[in-house]
Amino acid sequence: MPLFSKRPGTKATRIFYACDIHGSEPTYRKFLNAAKFYEVDALVFGGDLMGKLLIPLVRDGGGSWRASLQGQNHHLRGDEQLAEFKRTMQTLGFYWQEMDPEEYASYEGKQERIDELFDVLAKERLGEWIALAEDRLAGTHVNVYLCGGNDDTDEVLSALDEVAGERVVNAENRAVPIDDEHELLTIGYSTPTPWETPRERTDEEIAEVIEKLMPSVADPAKTVFNFHCPPLDSSLDTCLKLDGSVWPPTPLMERGQPVYYGAGSQAVADALASYQPTVGLHGHIHESRGATKYGRSPAFNPGSEYGEGVLRGLIVAIRGGEVVGHQFTSG
Amino acid sequence: MAEAVAPQVFTRRASGLVRVMSPYSAFIYNVLTMGIIFPWTYVWAPTALEGSNLVLGILFAFLFELPIALAYVWLATSLPRSGGDYVFQSRVFGGGFGFTVVFAFFVVWILQWVALSGWLLATLGIAPTFIGLGVTTGVGAFTDIGTWAAGTTGIIVISISNALIALVLLVTGFRNYVRFQYVMWYAILISFGIVLLLFLMNDPASATGKLDAFAGEVDGVQGFFATARAAAADAGVNFDPPFWLIGTLLVAPIAWTSLQWATYSSEQGGEIKNAHVFRNQVFIMVGSLALTAGLLILLAVAMQNGIGNEGILVASSGYWLAVPEATIGGNIMFPNMMAMGLTGSWFIVLLIGIGFILNSFQIVCNCYIGTTRIMVAQGLDGLLPDWFARVSPRWKTPVNAHIAYFIAALPVIWAFNYVGDWATKWALGVTFANGAVMTLSALAAALLPYRAKQVYEASPGAKYRLGGVPAVTVIGALGFVFGAFMVGSFLFREELGLAYSVYGWFPYLIVLGTALFGLIVYFVMRQVRAGAGLKVEYAFREIPPE
Repeated sequence: MPLFSKRPGTKATRIFYACDIHGSEPTYRKFLNAAKFYEVDALVFGGDLMGKLLIPLVRDGGGSWRASLQGQNHHLRGDEQLAEFKRTMQTLGFYWQEMDPEEYASYEGKQERIDELFDVLAKERLGEWIALAEDRLAGTHVNVYLCGGNDDTDEVLSALDEVAGERVVNAENRAVPIDDEHELLTIGYSTPTPWETPRERTDEEIAEVIEKLMPSVADPAKTVFNFHCPPLDSSLDTCLKLDGSVWPPTPLMERGQPVYYGAGSQAVADALASYQPTVGLHGHIHESRGATKYGRSPAFNPGSEYGEGVLRGLIVAIRGGEVVGHQFTSG
Repeated sequence: MAEAVAPQVFTRRASGLVRVMSPYSAFIYNVLTMGIIFPWTYVWAPTALEGSNLVLGILFAFLFELPIALAYVWLATSLPRSGGDYVFQSRVFGGGFGFTVVFAFFVVWILQWVALSGWLLATLGIAPTFIGLGVTTGVGAFTDIGTWAAGTTGIIVISISNALIALVLLVTGFRNYVRFQYVMWYAILISFGIVLLLFLMNDPASATGKLDAFAGEVDGVQGFFATARAAAADAGVNFDPPFWLIGTLLVAPIAWTSLQWATYSSEQGGEIKNAHVFRNQVFIMVGSLALTAGLLILLAVAMQNGIGNEGILVASSGYWLAVPEATIGGNIMFPNMMAMGLTGSWFIVLLIGIGFILNSFQIVCNCYIGTTRIMVAQGLDGLLPDWFARVSPRWKTPVNAHIAYFIAALPVIWAFNYVGDWATKWALGVTFANGAVMTLSALAAALLPYRAKQVYEASPGAKYRLGGVPAVTVIGALGFVFGAFMVGSFLFREELGLAYSVYGWFPYLIVLGTALFGLIVYFVMRQVRAGAGLKVEYAFREIPPE
């Protein structure tokens, strides 16, 4: 066989994987366009769809609004400035709501009401995203597999249950076929974090979910693990240790220096080691882009830079239960 | 459209990203990388460019580097990632160009700096410190150690130890380095401050007497300064040259070999807290540049006060013209060596020496830090084997990349010290190569709004415009022009860089060879990835959202 020639046999299935886009509209649009751009057969999302901030646009009378963004106060005059401001928020993955001063005051200090508003706006955006995916991928053979992560609420993810189109597949907590020989098993939970996010589970609980779902898989060796949480101490899960007793959590210092640790899941590491899937696709720790291996099974975390409008991702080519090539991307 | 009062944002419980290196640590890192205590300018320029003005030359270097550093501020806030120059250039120019330039001219050529930092440690750190201690304490063993350190065997042993200790420090955790950096920072500031004070507290007459006494103790010579001056004059040094403006402009590229590193923190942008905040990067890059340039100017003024122009020319003749009489114990009269000669206190000698030893050690550390981050970024992009990109689960550092770099440095260390004329025949390309990377990054900044539109528009610098044109385009273009002038000087001026060599085209071919090597690695890796049905171009190409 020539040195650089492709292996003979059936064509590999090319998957594009990305995660942690946190409400960023341009990043999601790039994710959908990745199908055509990278010429892949499937788009797999690894969780954390929801944005983290909601910007109240308080009407100031006379066609102007007041708002705060990235520590700067803004007075928006006219529709043009408002539209530009909304575009910036879309890029950053933030939600917004126009409101009168009285309505704004009714939210102040009431976290439950704020959380409800988050859910309404995030679910609305997810609904729009599902429709957009159906529209963009219509007439192609490419499916998009969506799921939540630890930052997404069940209420928002219920939008996935209402999926009824051709191309969008609700992959949340289930095994679904990804091609004629491989399945995709998705779990969106993470281990507990100092941020106390909506969908955290203990390692034991994650292990239970994995064990509950594995019997639904035909062949573990021909399964792609789409587990939001990376394996523990794998180099895909390295981040700063934070003090969760204060809000927002701050880095824990040891002899004047911040402490790094692995924030992943032992249950995920055990599952990769014992079931030896085709590949492990992970996210959750944005700053820990990288690759590692469990026996024959490679595992990846493409990282995330959604705030800069950059889509970090990974193309994986699989065939016969093996990864035949991978390529990190940064679009 | 900003005003004082506005509603607060609403937040919810969601995870966040935290980074380890503070902007202050990054600022220190850049100052140390510029090597405030390794001022080549003072021993290179005075006789190479007779009639040049050191203070003005350093000021020119600052002004030329300023738009380059500002251009990096835009780049680093737009793309706050580890891998710096490689990320910037691959995104703007494309992967083939970005990889080839940064791999060949940074990763390969910085190996030269690993060897050079060992040489600096031995000849500017350990040798003068022990010789100085020998003179001030009268203990002969110190002088013997100093003499051994300045010899070839000593330099090689010290260089390999230097690279090995840095390897261990860095692979066992980047935070070890960050912690130790503060020790280096304060030790170097103390050392530099003492050197300044010693020059300011002396005048040429008193300094000459003290240097005579110091050299007498070390080499057993009488009337050292007068002998050295006469030998320098015989070698062609003009002690009363008229002012030369072009020569002064050409001091800038020499001073730039220090000041160009004001932007080196961009290589680990992914580890700096709030690296995307504009004012942080201004502080880190422009702030460190201004401070270092100021300190270098201050040292030039202090030296003129302490040893006068004659003293500076004599010291320079020992380096540039290799006048043996103008060296002490075989050591070039770098500012620290002369400062040690100006004090009679072993304690002051020790404080000066520790600063120089630690700064030499810091240089090898930053060789590893910058290049391994680049190698990891290139490995993740598929342009180097995956092995280079692997991060140790135990140490959380790219151990493989560090080890590979150490191993690659060993033959360079050997050659640097054993192969005749290595420095002039093989290694002068480093001045051109490193500067070329930074000059091309300035051009990348100028083109950023047009070649990486989405990234640019999402960056904080996008709001700055000059006459309707993105400010980064104007500033980056200016930086490119200034950088091209300095890189061009290294290429064509016989007092500087590649053209200095007496080996004709050979050094140029070496530079070209490294570029070709980078290009070959790129095409081989491209083919390897293509064998799996993947394109490395995917690593850099921006996806249109629509």
